[in-house]
Amino acid sequence: MGGQGKFMAKPVVIVVGADKGGVGKTTVSRTLLDYFNANHVPTRAFDTESPRGTLNRFHPDITEIVDMTTTSDQMKIFDTLNAVTPSVTVIDVRAGLLSPSLASLRDIGFLDAAKSGQITFAVFHILGPSIASLDEIAETANFMQGAKYFLVKNFINNTSFFEWDQATYNSYFHRIKDATELTIPKLNEMAYEQVEVASVPFLKFVANKGPSDETANYSFVLRGYVRHWLSNVWTEFDRIKLTDLVGSGKPGARMGEK
Amino acid sequence: MHTTPVYIVCSPRPLVGKTLVARQLSEFLLLKNGDVAAFDINLKEPSLVEYLPGITETAEVDNTFGKMALMDRVIVNDAVSKVIDLGFHAFDEFFLMSKEIGFMKEAARRGVSPVVLFVADNDRASARAYAALEQQIPPTALIVIDNEYVLRGELAEAMGHGRILRIGALPSFLKTYIDRLTFSFTGYLRHEQDSSTELHQWIRRNYLSFRELELNLMLERP
Repeated sequence: MGGQGKFMAKPVVIVVGADKGGVGKTTVSRTLLDYFNANHVPTRAFDTESPRGTLNRFHPDITEIVDMTTTSDQMKIFDTLNAVTPSVTVIDVRAGLLSPSLASLRDIGFLDAAKSGQITFAVFHILGPSIASLDEIAETANFMQGAKYFLVKNFINNTSFFEWDQATYNSYFHRIKDATELTIPKLNEMAYEQVEVASVPFLKFVANKGPSDETANYSFVLRGYVRHWLSNVWTEFDRIKLTDLVGSGKPGARMGEK
Repeated sequence: MHTTPVYIVCSPRPLVGKTLVARQLSEFLLLKNGDVAAFDINLKEPSLVEYLPGITETAEVDNTFGKMALMDRVIVNDAVSKVIDLGFHAFDEFFLMSKEIGFMKEAARRGVSPVVLFVADNDRASARAYAALEQQIPPTALIVIDNEYVLRGELAEAMGHGRILRIGALPSFLKTYIDRLTFSFTGYLRHEQDSSTELHQWIRRNYLSFRELELNLMLERP
C-alpha cells in the first residue's frame, strides 16, 4: 500500500472533513494521497461515503469504504493503527459527519491518546463560503486539543471566504489559535472534469497513465494545468511541513514534479 | 532524432507586421519542406487565414477547448513545421498558458523546438513583454524581428543583445502590392523573370534569413 519508504513508529491519522457537502473534501483527500505517494510515505485511506465511495474510485488500491457510524468499522480503522504497515491513515469523512465523528473519537479515547502523544492526529477542515460553514470552526475546535488543526480554504470552485468583510473574516479565522490556514487554489474546470472522467489519481493523470498504469491519451494542455495546480497544492503542504508531521522528514526530490 | 520546429510570431502590439512575417515564413517552409501547418490566432488584425487558407486554420486561446485544439496539435513531433500567428490580444494569455502547462519543457522532451519570433516595437508594452519572454524562453529560442517598416529608428537596447532577424522596409507602393490577398511571395519568385527587382531581392533576402535561422536552430540542437 502506498509504496515503500521510511516507517514511522507513531501512527498518524489525518481526518479530512466538513459538515457541509460539496466543499471539496474528497479533492483535498486525493491531493494528500498523491502527496504522500510522491514523497514515498506509505499511506492507507478510508472513504466514509458508504456504500458508494468517491475516494475509492480514484485510489482503489489503498482505499477501503467504511461506515464510520458503526462500531465494527470504527474498530477496522482505529484498532489497526499499530498493526498495519502504512502508519499514515487518511480518513475522508462524508458531509455532516465531521462533528459526530470527532465526538466518537473522543468517546473511544482516541483524542486522549493524541493528546498524550501516542498518536499524531490532524484534521483538515474544509471550509465552505457560508457563515454556517464558518460556524463549524468553533464547533470543531472543541475537539482539537492535542490535534493539528488545518483550516482549508478551497478555491477549486471559485469560493470566497468573506475576505471582503475583514471583521467577519477575523472573527472566524483568527478565533482559534494554533489553527493553520491552508489554501487550495483553483484548478481549470475542464482539467478537473477530465480527471473525474478518467477516474485516476492526479499524479497518474499528469503522467498520462490510465487506472492500470497503461499509457493514456489525455490532453497535454489539461495535464499541464493539473501539474501546475498540483505543484501549487503541494507547495502549501510543504509550507505546513506535512512530511514532518507524519515523521518522514523534509520533502526531497519526488516523482510527478519533473 | 528529428525535431519539429514551432514558430510563434508574436507581439503585444497591433499592426507591427506579425502576419506579414508569418505569411512569408509559412510560404518559405511550404516551398522548402512541401508542407507546413499554420495557425491564425487573430481576431482584430489582418489575418493569416485570409492569405493562406489552404494551410492555415484558425485557433483561439481564450477558452480551454481552443487551447487544447491548438496546443495538443503543436506539441506533436510529426516533422511538419508549425507557424503560429499570435494576435496582440492573445499574447498574454498564450504565454501565461504556455508557462502554466510547461510547454517549453514538454516540447524539449518530445523533440519539438518552439521558436518565438518577437516583432519589436519601441513602446513600453513591447519592452515589458520582451522582458517577460526572456524569463520564460531560452535565449536560443527567442528571436527579435527588427521590421524596418515599423521600427523607424534604433532597436531598444534591451532587445539588441540576442539574436535579431531584420526585415527591410519596402516602399509604400510595394507594401500595398504584397498586402493584396492574392499575392504569393513564392509565386512572385517563380513568375517574375527579372530577379533584380526590389521586391524579388527583398523576398529572397528574407527567405535567406529564414534559412539561416533554421540552420542555426539545427546546429544548436543537442
